[in-house]
Amino acid sequence: MANPSQFGFQDASSPIMEELVEFHDHALMVALAICSLVLYLLTLMLMEKLSSNTVDAQEVELIWTILPAIVLILLALPSLQILYMMDEIDEPDLTLKAIGHQWYWTYEYTDFKDLSFDSYMVPTSELPSGHFRLLEVDHRVVVPMESPIRVIITAGDVLHSWAVPTLGVKTDAIPGRLNQTSFITTRPGIFYGQCSEICGANHSYMPIVVESTPLTHFENWSSLLSAS
Amino acid sequence: MAGEGDSEPEKSFKLLGFLDVKNVPCARESVLYGSLGSLVLGLGHFLATSRVRRSCDFAVGGFIFTMLGYWFYCRYNFAQHRIRQRMLREGMKNKILFEGSSLDPERKQTGNERSNS
Repeated sequence: MANPSQFGFQDASSPIMEELVEFHDHALMVALAICSLVLYLLTLMLMEKLSSNTVDAQEVELIWTILPAIVLILLALPSLQILYMMDEIDEPDLTLKAIGHQWYWTYEYTDFKDLSFDSYMVPTSELPSGHFRLLEVDHRVVVPMESPIRVIITAGDVLHSWAVPTLGVKTDAIPGRLNQTSFITTRPGIFYGQCSEICGANHSYMPIVVESTPLTHFENWSSLLSAS
Repeated sequence: MAGEGDSEPEKSFKLLGFLDVKNVPCARESVLYGSLGSLVLGLGHFLATSRVRRSCDFAVGGFIFTMLGYWFYCRYNFAQHRIRQRMLREGMKNKILFEGSSLDPERKQTGNERSNS
């Protein structure tokens, strides 16, 4: 989850998010270079007297056509690479269905057992000490770590969006449509997210919590859940 | 989890308000080398030609190109390093998993040597 008043990305917990953070750093470095140049040119212009002596400027026109084209290529190539990487879904180990409702999520594990449960936010009045306000839920989504997981997302009433920033996942939940996304968690842990599409009065109060555990723990959890 | 008994998160220093040079790998070195390149080129040009305006242009150009040049070089090495780390981690995990079993490649090699002799 985010630290208080955090402005940047959370630490990445999936390979795709690591790539996204690296691309973001790359884009910011290019932006820094461009900003430095623009600031310098602005300073020069402010110190110059106004004149209308320029007739044509073939050389500078060539430079400010080719240089931006190069910059765009430098940004576009890694961007497209990551875009296509995000669309690869290569034999997932588990398929999870997430259905958005007003104002909770329903999760279904129907690969091997018919598991289904609702996930409601824990109200602040019932929150145990040390837990996170507006982020904790009564039933977390448990997934095995280091395994490709496919998530199929839809909604039962209005638009929602299933988002977990640290995994680099944000997919709209649209009624009557199935959207697919996938992720791999690189480490065990608890990852928080929130609904990211305005869906009514309690839009801010339907968080998502993904718990990544080793496979044996996941098997134990699914056995306990199906028994209950 | 952040904030649970850990020391305070390291404060960031954002250049021009957006580039966190402390926490982004290679950023600090890029900016420092860029500054050095800017100083060398600008000062060198001024000492050679005594033209202030053109030397400033060279200084800014030197800053941008040195910074970006080192950035690409450093990020490329960083990416290679990370790939090697991943391969090593995977290799160590597989070695522990398969050691002594029929899938152990070292055991297969030893078996082949014995059959060849």
